[in-house]
Amino acid sequence: MNAHPTPYDKTRQRWTFHWTPFRMFLAVLLVIGLFLIAYRLVFGLGRPTNLTDRWPWALWTWWKLTGVALAGAGYSTALMVHFMGRKRWHDIERGAFVVSLLGYLMVCSALILDLGQWYNAWHPLYSWGVHSVMFELYYCISAYTVVQVVEFLYIFEERIPFPLLHRVLKKIYAPLLILGAILPVFHQSALCSLYVIAKGREDPLWWSMLLPVFAVFTSFYIGSSVVTIENFVAEKTYGRPVHMRILGEMVRLSGGVMFVYLALKVSDYWVRGVLPELFSGSLLGNIALVELGLGVVLPMLMFMTPSVRASRQGIVTASAFAIGGVVLNRYDIVITGMAASTGQGFYRPAWMEVGFVIGLAAAVALAYLFLVENFPVYTEEDVAVAAARRAEEEARLRAKAAVIEARQRVLIGR
Amino acid sequence: MSAVAAGTDRRDEPSDPSRRRFLKGLVVTAGAASVAATIPQPRKRESPLGRQLAEEHANDPALLIDLTRCVGCGRCVNACKTDNGLAWREDQPARGPDAELASSNWTAVKTESVRGRDGQTRFVKSQCMHCLEPACASACFVKALKKSPTGAVTYDGDLCVGCRYCLMACPFSVPTFEWDKTFGRVEKCDFCVERTSQGKPTACAEVCPVGTLTFGKRGELLQEAWRRIGSQTYKYVPHVYGETEVGGTSMLYISDVPFEELGFRTGLPTTPLPRYTWEITRLLPPVAAGLGATIISLYLRRRKLLLEAEEAEGAAKAEGNAATNEGVRV
Repeated sequence: MNAHPTPYDKTRQRWTFHWTPFRMFLAVLLVIGLFLIAYRLVFGLGRPTNLTDRWPWALWTWWKLTGVALAGAGYSTALMVHFMGRKRWHDIERGAFVVSLLGYLMVCSALILDLGQWYNAWHPLYSWGVHSVMFELYYCISAYTVVQVVEFLYIFEERIPFPLLHRVLKKIYAPLLILGAILPVFHQSALCSLYVIAKGREDPLWWSMLLPVFAVFTSFYIGSSVVTIENFVAEKTYGRPVHMRILGEMVRLSGGVMFVYLALKVSDYWVRGVLPELFSGSLLGNIALVELGLGVVLPMLMFMTPSVRASRQGIVTASAFAIGGVVLNRYDIVITGMAASTGQGFYRPAWMEVGFVIGLAAAVALAYLFLVENFPVYTEEDVAVAAARRAEEEARLRAKAAVIEARQRVLIGR
Repeated sequence: MSAVAAGTDRRDEPSDPSRRRFLKGLVVTAGAASVAATIPQPRKRESPLGRQLAEEHANDPALLIDLTRCVGCGRCVNACKTDNGLAWREDQPARGPDAELASSNWTAVKTESVRGRDGQTRFVKSQCMHCLEPACASACFVKALKKSPTGAVTYDGDLCVGCRYCLMACPFSVPTFEWDKTFGRVEKCDFCVERTSQGKPTACAEVCPVGTLTFGKRGELLQEAWRRIGSQTYKYVPHVYGETEVGGTSMLYISDVPFEELGFRTGLPTTPLPRYTWEITRLLPPVAAGLGATIISLYLRRRKLLLEAEEAEGAAKAEGNAATNEGVRV
């Protein structure tokens, strides 16, 4: 067994997973999360959460909205690579795809666990409430998750050849690709349109008829930031090279999309006459300002500055701010904007709710690592570079050890 | 002016009986004086949509709830619980200052701290408002919640998945959830649908001993509401809560204390909430068609380019092969 975790390469025959102390810690979090799920299934939703009739949706809903937005990395990358001629971005595509797949699997399980009568989850198949945004969400998100699972079979099949499957997959490639580009637009938008019906309850700083449009924009531009962070984590873990040039192109494009988003957002405030509330100095106004200032304007300017996006530190910092902005935006839609109308103030989650969210996140992290170590997620070139880097590093360490040993020998000799 | 002052005073210290009588006199005099000044007229429906909804639902069964008459006896609550087989739970009071709707309370009578202009304690009965165009039913993606043709908004627990979007959607925070059950369902007033669909009054209206609850047709009750407001100006605020809120509801409240002071959510839009969402969801088919066409054409264009590139590559390879073959032959 290797001393360090290494990504899958073609010579690998056995299933492997490299345990490190940090991964064990993640596994502990995951196990706690599983216990919490069991607890929730036995005792219902009331005991493990602080949900009430006034706060029927809170932390978990925020987590789902955020998870799907960040998992937008998959569809935005696929759209660019396969439909808009960014073929060179292919190198980072599978990483983005795996993040997206895992994000959706997590959100779908959270969605089902959040249902009171989860065993009825199939009912929308025959009882159609077409006027509900939830209906659109239900169909698009489950269809897209199925599409992604099937897309994963392409990767799966490279590791475990399966001639019949291969032939089928080859035939359905184009429709899958096309569905995978269309469906996300609808459920991304639907997730935020859910709050359109809360007109009069959602604070005007976040309620808007443009909520679905904002949702699509944010989920599209955040993709590059998620891929950036994924790239840097992969480098730290496996020595996989960071594709600075591709990332630079991606975030530059995101910067442009962010600018359009910002313009839409501000004109929406202006048209609805909400700008005074934004600058009123009230708590909500300030939160919205932070969301837009630190979460959109700052990373946008950083992405637009060539020297910043070309530097490793710059691109990581800007990506972190952009992700923070989206996370805060979803939090504001679900919690901040609704707090006043609940009459109960801001939502205070129970520890079990938080543990559930952390457990799911740990599951995603572990699953990502497992997939990378057992399936061809990274390109062969990347894996080769990673191996070379590792060899270089080991040689350097060996040389260092040899020097120390030699010195000691000299010392003893004296 | 004195009426206002007396009213405020009254709320603060209602205890002294002689003072109370004196102030009551003041209120009556001041009130009578202002009758002549402002006789409220039924507010004209601003929008054509509002008028259309009111006409469409004029014959729907409805309840007029006159809060000035309620004495908080709670017989409506008893009748509701008995009729619908709901439990009495200590943690979910249906009467008193902490009363609120809950999974075992389809209706609740809350004792308010605000007093009426007559100095009496005010009680607010709450239950489902049975909107003319209910947000909950439009939000329900399995159609467990429905607006029945006879006016009631009904719930089918066997169909429900328990997503609680109805709780989010309801502008009056009416639907409640069984948080303490393993498989939680939604609970809410069903307007005694079996009774009201046959023209009979609801269980609560049937037992009300003081005439707070009047069962009838919505159009007629609306007229009655404005008649009461008009005839006793000193008593009522000129607002029928439920007439225009979110497009109108089957429950019509009148009160002598401003509604926001009684915990009613005011400032709600007069457009039915489902219409906001529908403005978006109805765009789904055209957007899907447009987006689909764009994506497919982009894909076909890309494929053509790729095929051409491949062909060129293939041709180059073939040429190269031919060249090597020739070389071998030579």
